[in-house]
Order: sequence, then structure tokens, then C-alpha cells
Amino acid sequence: RDFYKILGVPRSASIKDIKKAYRKLALQLHPDRNPDDPQAQEKFQDLGAAYEVLSDNEKRKQYDTYGEEGLKDGHQSSHGDIFSHFFGDFGFMFGGTPRQQDRNIPRGSDIIVDLEVTLEEVYAGNFVEVVRNKPVARQAPGKRKCNCRQEMRTTQLGPGRFQMTQEVVCDECPNVKLVNEERTLEVEIEPGVRDGMEYPFIGEGEPHVDGEPGDLRFRIKVVKHPIFERRGDDLYTNVTISLVESLVGFEMDITHLDGHKVHISRDKITRPGAKLWKKGEGLPSFDNNNIKGSLIITFDVDFPKEQLTEEAREGIKQLLKQGSVQKVYNGLQGY
Amino acid sequence: MWSAGRGGAAGPALLGLLLAFLVPGGGAAKTGTGLVTCGSVLKLLNTHHRVRLHSHDIKYGSGSGQQSVTGVEASDDANSYWRIRGGSEGGCPRGFPVRCGQAVRLTHVLTGKNLHTHHFPSPLSNNQEVSAFGEDGEGDDLDLWTVRCSGKHWEREAAVRFQHVGTSVFLSVTGEQYGNPIRGQHEVHGMPSANTHNTWKAMEGIFIKPSVEPSAGHDEL
Repeated sequence: RDFYKILGVPRSASIKDIKKAYRKLALQLHPDRNPDDPQAQEKFQDLGAAYEVLSDNEKRKQYDTYGEEGLKDGHQSSHGDIFSHFFGDFGFMFGGTPRQQDRNIPRGSDIIVDLEVTLEEVYAGNFVEVVRNKPVARQAPGKRKCNCRQEMRTTQLGPGRFQMTQEVVCDECPNVKLVNEERTLEVEIEPGVRDGMEYPFIGEGEPHVDGEPGDLRFRIKVVKHPIFERRGDDLYTNVTISLVESLVGFEMDITHLDGHKVHISRDKITRPGAKLWKKGEGLPSFDNNNIKGSLIITFDVDFPKEQLTEEAREGIKQLLKQGSVQKVYNGLQGY
Repeated sequence: MWSAGRGGAAGPALLGLLLAFLVPGGGAAKTGTGLVTCGSVLKLLNTHHRVRLHSHDIKYGSGSGQQSVTGVEASDDANSYWRIRGGSEGGCPRGFPVRCGQAVRLTHVLTGKNLHTHHFPSPLSNNQEVSAFGEDGEGDDLDLWTVRCSGKHWEREAAVRFQHVGTSVFLSVTGEQYGNPIRGQHEVHGMPSANTHNTWKAMEGIFIKPSVEPSAGHDEL
């Protein structure tokens, strides 16, 4: 089997690319989402096997050199295990049929975890590995009382005389105890993700002894960046240039979020507050990563701090050949 | 961790050191998958009294009148989750392992208030009242707690203490229990001395794996 082809990644793909490819394909190929496809189960197994090998450095090396036959051990983890790393225990419901909200089945609490994310991660995407340690309801020997409720009981005291009392009535259920279990989850930070977007892991919330566990949701919180400000898919930044550069022109590079350089070349005069639009140098759009916003650069000018000598003042008057301009006007206009 | 070469036993000791460095893939110990990192959400268990640090939308009837903090026996209550954050905005980025001696804030996940203490008496034992204070994770300087542990970083398996930065008390439980409406919950308060009543261990939670290799002792090779 060609694992790279199954995942749709080049042989040089990074671990991040592999995780991203798996997550996207797993949702599409899950047998529950393809009930009419007789080969769905097999395709899904292949996907799991491909991920298991290519996501492990050792196994990937062996596969690259010797092919699938050269892999030392058989496949250890069941595919269900790998799938739940990305989507939680009941993850197959996510993205497919929405979870049936059966009012009668009690549900454990949901947990919302704020996940801090940098602009670099918003630009290029990333995976955050998280260990979830949670109490799980497991069968235990014996029985326990469950569904306890208050009921009115009518007892007859004598002919025509009745008494109504309140009684606590319980059912008998198999005994459960809470055991702590641990698993690793992979949270994907998709390129272009916006503040407040949530990534749910179905069934990874708090348990309920009489019902289903709640969900775990990661809520994205984009943190402030020292160089770039985000507005939608656009990025804003400021550059201070010297007075000389503003008058005679300059060349410079701005290092972008993934390290690539944005080149700026000016040979005209640059006024303070001048804006330069660089299309395609913003953030990728969440809905289509191929479309990017713009980078808007605002320039301000650093004026010399020391006082100029009499000579310099004369020289400047000569060079600029500018008379006195002293225009008085209302600059605020109501703001 | 590697002490400078001692005089007599230098030979075999050095050989041992050399072999240790040659063994590939130090494994979990060095990469610290068992460390508590900033941004993680967890429940804290008082090791002596077996109750979890807890808060809820119920205010103290005395003292400061702020939101109460208690200890509960249940292990499946979402109101026992606390988020570990640095002392200031940006002070501890996501995935950074918490160092022993570092000041952190513990934010109650469901109400957004920070673990807090101040000079008010606690209602049952007359120690120092511990409350939950602030809005949306923002409180004041009295929200800072120093993580006291041995070693370099806070390990999930370790029993640690929380010492308040402003008043120096230790987060403690000594067994007093409330009546209604929070029957059976234990009082959590601040005590001036370190003892068996103030050790806590990280239990259930969502632990973000360390994003930075914590510097262990052997950084010079």
C-alpha cells in the first residue's frame, strides 16, 4: 500500500501535514458517513494504517526504506483509537448526524477550555497535543440505587380512611464506579481560524453515572502580536522610517509570520501616515486557505531629536527651496 | 543534576555519565510529558483530606461576602476545574511548564473568578478566608499564588503547596464541614504554616503537553 498516496501527502510531508491530512480524510471516509460504499470500511482501515506508520518517526523510516513488508511489528493500536485522538470517544457523530438530543438521557457537564493561539499559528496552522484525564463510569460488582424520586403512596388505614405519604422510591441499576482514564487528544488549529471558534470533542466532558458524558470544547483565543494586528483576514503593521528615508526613498524587508520576507521598495517621498497595501500578504481565509487578505503598512517618520545648527538650517532652506506655508484650519471637525 | 566531578571516583562516574548521554531517546522523563503547563485545566485534590478544590455561584454569608471556595468529595463535578495561568497577561504562554517557585493564577473555569485570599476570617475555623474573585479571569494582585514544590517543575504526580504571594498563607483544608445549602463540603482556608493539610495533587483535567523542553540539569555537554 502506498501510505503517502492514501493520505494525499508528498514524501517530504511534515508531521503537521500528515495530521492535517488524516483529520480531513477521516471525516470524509468514516464508514458511518458512507453507508452505501461497500469498500468504506477497507478505505478507512487503510487510512488508519497509513497514519499510524507515517506519524511515527521510527516506523516511517522503516517504511520509507523497506516498504510495508519491512515494518517490524504488526499494527498495535486499533483504528478506533487513532480516530478518537482527533475527535473524542463519540467523535464519529461530529460532522455527521448531529447528536440526538434525547431529553430523557441525562448528560454530564460540558467543559469549555480556552485555547490560546498565536498569529503564527493562525497563519500556518498547528496541532496542539493535550492529555485528557477524566473519570469514566465502569461496571462494578453488585447493584446500586438509581433514578431516585419522590412518590406519593396511598395507604389504607381502615374502611374509607386513607393516608397519603411521600416516599423515596429508587430503581435498581448495575453498579458503576468512576475510574480515571487518560488519552491523548490532537486539537487542530486550522489556518485562518477566528477568535471564539470552537473545536468539540464529543463525549470527552464530565461523565454522568446514569447517562452519557458531556462534551469537551476548545475555544480559540487569539493572543495579541507585537508586530501585526489582525482585522478579519487583513494584517496591519507600522514602520518608523527616518526623515532622510522619507524624503529620498528606501528599501526594506518585513519578516512575515512564517518567516518569509515581504520586500518594500520606495523611491518617492513617503509622507507620515502613508499606507502601503500588499495584497495576498494577510492571513488565509478560514473558508478557503488559498485566498489571503492584505498586509497594510502605515509609515511614520522619526524627526531628528537634536537641534539643527544655524548652518544646517540655512542648508536645508536652500535644498528644499520651500517658502513659508502657514495655513490655519480646523483639523478636528467635530471628532 | 550532574554534580561536578568528584575527586576520587572520577573515572567510573565519568564513564557512567558518558554512557547515559550515548543512550538514545531519553524518553518521557526528559521531554516531561508529566508536567503541568500554563493553559491547562485541572482539578486539585487535597492529599490528606481527599477533597477537590471547588467553587460555585454561592457567596459567603460572612467575611468578605465574595464567592465561596470549598472542598468536595465528588470526582465528576465540572465546578472543580481550575485553569492555570501566569501572573500577568502573556506571563506564561500556552504549553510552558510551571516552575517550582513561579507565581500563577488559578481561574475557576465555570465562573471566571480567580482563587483569592485576603485578611478576612474563614467562617468555620477562623483561619484566613479563601474566595473566588474577579471577572472573566481578571481580579487583582491578591490572586497570585506561588507553586511550592521540590525539583525544577511542577509534575503532575507530585504533591505541591500553594503559598499566597500577598499574605504568605498556604492553601489548606483541615476538615471542617458546612451545613446547608452546601452540606458535606469542606472549608478551604489559608494557614500560615506548611504542613500535611496543605499538599495538593493534580488529578482529572486537560493537560496541554509541554511545548518547550524544560531545561534539565545537564544543559552543558
